[in-house]
Amino acid sequence: MILRWVDERLGMASWARSGLRKIFPDHWSFLLGEVALFCLVVLVLTGVFLTLFYVPDAAVVEYEGSYAPLVGTEVSRAYASVLELSFEVKAGLVMRQVHHWAALVFVAAIALHVMRVFFTGAFRRPREINWLVGIGLLLLALAMGITGYSLPDDLLSGTGLRVIYSVVIGIPLVGPYLAFLLFGGEFPTETIISRLFVFHIMLLPALLIGGVLVHLAILWRQKHTQFRVPGATERTVVGRPFWPSQVFKSTGLLFLTAAVLALMGGLLQINPVWTYGPFDATTVSAPAQPDWYVGWLDGSLRLFPPIEFTLLGITIPSVFIPGVVIPGIAFAIMTLWPFIEPRLGGDREEHHVLDRPYDNALRASVGVAGLLAFVVLTVAGGNDVVALIFNIPVEAMTNILRVAFFVVPILGSWVTWRVCRELQRRTDVPDPRRPVVLRRTASGGFEEGGHER
Amino acid sequence: MSAERGITILLGASMAASLALVGVYIFDIREAPLEGALLAVALGGVGAAIVVWAVTLMHAPPEVEERHEMPSPPSERDAAAHALDLGSVTRRRFLVRMLAGAGGLLAAALALPAFSLGPQPGRELFETGWRAGARVVGGDGEPIRPDDLVEGTVRTVFPEGAVGRADSPVMLIRLRPSDLQLPNDRQGRAYEGCIAYSKLCTHAGCPVGLYRAEDRVLICPCHQSTFDVTRGAVPVFGPAARRLPQLGLGVDADGYLVAAADFDEPVGPSFWNLTHEGGDG
Amino acid sequence: MRTARSLVALLLALTALLALAVGLASGGPRHDAAREAPPAQESGAMGADLYAQSCASCHGPAGAGTEYGPSLLGVGAAAVDFQLTTGRMPFAGQPGTQAKRKPVAFSQEQIDSLVAHVVSLGDDEPAGPAIPTVTTSDDLLARGQEVFTGNCAPCHGATGNGGAVGGGALAPPLDVTTPVQTVEAMLVGPGQMPVFALADEDLDAVASYVDWLQNAPTPGGFSIGGIGPVPEGFVAWVVGMGMLLVVVFLAGRSWRRAGGDE
Repeated sequence: MILRWVDERLGMASWARSGLRKIFPDHWSFLLGEVALFCLVVLVLTGVFLTLFYVPDAAVVEYEGSYAPLVGTEVSRAYASVLELSFEVKAGLVMRQVHHWAALVFVAAIALHVMRVFFTGAFRRPREINWLVGIGLLLLALAMGITGYSLPDDLLSGTGLRVIYSVVIGIPLVGPYLAFLLFGGEFPTETIISRLFVFHIMLLPALLIGGVLVHLAILWRQKHTQFRVPGATERTVVGRPFWPSQVFKSTGLLFLTAAVLALMGGLLQINPVWTYGPFDATTVSAPAQPDWYVGWLDGSLRLFPPIEFTLLGITIPSVFIPGVVIPGIAFAIMTLWPFIEPRLGGDREEHHVLDRPYDNALRASVGVAGLLAFVVLTVAGGNDVVALIFNIPVEAMTNILRVAFFVVPILGSWVTWRVCRELQRRTDVPDPRRPVVLRRTASGGFEEGGHER
Repeated sequence: MSAERGITILLGASMAASLALVGVYIFDIREAPLEGALLAVALGGVGAAIVVWAVTLMHAPPEVEERHEMPSPPSERDAAAHALDLGSVTRRRFLVRMLAGAGGLLAAALALPAFSLGPQPGRELFETGWRAGARVVGGDGEPIRPDDLVEGTVRTVFPEGAVGRADSPVMLIRLRPSDLQLPNDRQGRAYEGCIAYSKLCTHAGCPVGLYRAEDRVLICPCHQSTFDVTRGAVPVFGPAARRLPQLGLGVDADGYLVAAADFDEPVGPSFWNLTHEGGDG
Repeated sequence: MRTARSLVALLLALTALLALAVGLASGGPRHDAAREAPPAQESGAMGADLYAQSCASCHGPAGAGTEYGPSLLGVGAAAVDFQLTTGRMPFAGQPGTQAKRKPVAFSQEQIDSLVAHVVSLGDDEPAGPAIPTVTTSDDLLARGQEVFTGNCAPCHGATGNGGAVGGGALAPPLDVTTPVQTVEAMLVGPGQMPVFALADEDLDAVASYVDWLQNAPTPGGFSIGGIGPVPEGFVAWVVGMGMLLVVVFLAGRSWRRAGGDE
């Protein structure tokens, strides 16, 4: 009935039929991106709730809520509204904590999804375009995280903002102008909270959601990649139809993701801003860390040697290279990898059947090196906490990590290279640098099955 | 256990948890752990039930679908290119250039309001609230005499009348005068073992709020830059490359600590023109 | 069917956590502890004997210090009381390392006599702070949090859980510190800690807040260390992503199994 009504107006019956019959290959790792998507759903839902109570206002008020140690303290209205949300609003604390945990898990799921796509070569032609969209989404997710982290206007978030300001002002030639434009003057400014709010709840989510839709549309158009299961060829997709199985599975996953986040939001206290106290530009709380996905940038700042020099009257501040140049290079390599790989011996053919992670030793080695460098920097971002937990001097920790930043990725990529070559020998796979061979023999899928055993 | 039974249990658990959630809300039981756990069961029950349902009761055999070629046939592509072709229009190069020029200028005009977002950086990066003769006061606004500070004391202080000003916090430390080995360009800035440095780290601007009394070093908790207080706050560890700016100290007629002058260099993080004396703009 | 069972099991596990959550309901009772300063005693034979046994080898028989320990002349009663009541003295670590809190070695009576003896050693010197009288009060909490955040949190952490301050030194956690010890530490500046000779009310306020922190409620559930985003990120990966990977893997695996059935 409804179908008919809609079809008479939009004429979508044949589109719907083919859409519902669309084949989705099965592999658990294909669900990582879905987990990220469902985290986003939870973030939007909880975020809308929080928006209705949060006040993006730096004006100073006297706190009069139920949290005893702050009663009578001068705080910003933003900070007071977060406390009210946490202590006075029914279900507010759970919503806030679910939102924060969802943000942490969101980026974690994106990270795993990116790893899956990278190590299986799913970014290869024709999917470079969706890789680029995906990197854009990753950057937007990071920007969402950073702007959101800064909103409560507590001592920890304010310290994070200050570091961002210092990195921006340190950009040669344009830094001071850019920092003053972004922050509305010399740090700390009254306007920054409301600006971050506009970015966090309007501009960035619009871009993020729009980008996700493009990401999915391209996926739909290009169809999934798939692993080398029997019957998989470059010309076909093997799997189960979108309706009903895939829809049911995904819906179930949506609810289960939300369940995990709800459990964390209820049982595990996160970002207790009331213990950090309101932001005060003249003091600081320790340990001072950003959320995990920014930890590597903070680690880069911590590890970099004290180098500051003046060249032709232009001072290059000590934060510039670790805070701007190194992350810039890292993201540039990551973004351009689908175009770099063909120049390093990869091929330029279309691929719909995925590599196993060890099929391309070069890619695996580069990926492992990047991953390990990220891990070392992330540990460095928490070096004082690690030092506290394991009772080692922070200085020793820093010096070890400075060495590890070079040694660990190199060692890791060498081991990866050897392991990949060994696995390739054992599974008797054709040289990955000449995957044309695979394309020719895969028409029936019989030989592929033979390799699998 | 049969699949139907499993699904029934799961959905039943979810319904029970949802009802309990309603109760928790109505009776205003403020326990985040309880709310979170109930919510998890309510959501997880539904989710698990749907997944179990799909896995066990929907036997869809694997199917094979043909992939379509991504590139369009050449004829199709040519036709599209032809349709896009502006033909005669592009030959009117003058008009095309005018159009581009108009668009560019319009974009520039429209982009200008972005500069309303912030002022031009001027002298403020080079100045703080400290002035010659400004009394040194604590967070409570009370002036300080050297003898108020026992050896080993550290206090965050401000210029009188500017308590809490973000660019002016100073770490005031009292040491034994004989322990000081100030560099030549910072001689005479201490007063009877009282010594004062900007609290803002020269690396990323965090307040260097940590002081190790035995080692006589100030440490920034953000990135562990460490400054030797006895030697003019020269960085001895961590990423900071510049000394903390030092405030010259003296006493006024009433015996209270005062600043000799404003800092002679910018406080906080470095920027490209920090060595330029002017900073006018 | 195995999948059905494991998913049900997963959900049952979640339910079990619910029961745990109920147990989290309330924090323990608070206690206001303010030990009165011990009555000034004549330095009796007990103090001198204990000093000779336990202290003289490092601090010298007359308290003037040796290469192993600093001079105690004029340090004041608060310094001695703090070191002894927190178990930091007698020192048992490697020479040159930080004295750490340990079980107290002496009875209260012995400590009082030792304090009196050490104070008597430095009679010629200007004396350091006496053992303070501390009054904690909930009315001082707001002032306490403000002063604590400005002066103590940079090293000891916003939640008083301690922190690494470089040079191999640790700002110890404040979880068992008594109000008197808190104020003694601020007045004396033991070890690497600087002196915070604040107004009496501010000292009381900090002691009140530290005492409150020791039993501070965690309305949001387990505090997971209370040291900020590092454990939070770790938990997000291990617990959050871990649970989700189990879910994802169960769903993914079952589909292949179902495929095998055909």
